Amino acid sequence: MTAPPPGGPGRVVPVYAVTGGRTRSTGRPLPPESLVSVTGRAAHVTGLQAEYRAVVALAHDPVSIVEIGAHLGVPVGVARVLVSDLADAGYLVVHAAGPQDAAGRPTPEVLERLLAGLRAR
Amino acid sequence: MVTALSEIPPLLTEQEMTVASVGIDDVAAVPGKRTTTVALDFGRITVDDAMVLYVFGTPGQSRFWFMWDEPARGSVGGVVVVDLRRVEDCFAAVDYFEDRALPFVVAVNGFPGADEFPVDDVREALDLHPGVPVVRMDARVEHALLRAGT
Repeated sequence: MTAPPPGGPGRVVPVYAVTGGRTRSTGRPLPPESLVSVTGRAAHVTGLQAEYRAVVALAHDPVSIVEIGAHLGVPVGVARVLVSDLADAGYLVVHAAGPQDAAGRPTPEVLERLLAGLRAR
Repeated sequence: MVTALSEIPPLLTEQEMTVASVGIDDVAAVPGKRTTTVALDFGRITVDDAMVLYVFGTPGQSRFWFMWDEPARGSVGGVVVVDLRRVEDCFAAVDYFEDRALPFVVAVNGFPGADEFPVDDVREALDLHPGVPVVRMDARVEHALLRAGT
């Protein structure tokens, strides 16, 4: 009998090993709500680690980094590194964030659209 | 609250704890707890064909302030849920939004007896700016929340 691995059932490889010990993504900032989706190149994925393949599978419809982390059972920081790697390799495209004002807040147009969308529900 | 709003089953996400918080949430004191991550739940509302609203629920106690920055950054705003039996628990959250000039509403959570408190009393107890909306809600009812949000 061996004890179950830490980090939840089913996880044999620790998450820090998957990301090579990295906790930060390279280059651009990737907020947790960033939406990503696969590119045409992702249809020909071969030789990727299981975690990367799982991200690609999730991103056939636009999905946020925070959702990817939850589905994979890894912290957001790990999901961010995985997404960043896949984007750098051309498998994923990161959707542009909505328009923001100088203070990083959503613009009035975004808020109007949000309000209209919620009221229409 | 997230459960009531989300169109998907709420998901848990993990955030790495800061070193400072490890001292407070002494993991050594919790047998079997090995990770230094904390969870926050979130849900999703599809607003239109190209807009998605994510709703994050975080613990409200002041010692969890370090978890609030990431969901707050770039956010539309916040909902501070007040339990009238423990009003003081939300002081830190109100301060947080006020300090950063982030828009927020105060939602008075429904519980037996809550209706006996006039909204003005809640406003006074929290020393709210007149522009901050105070609404009554039941965290389990989506309708009340959407009204609170809009």
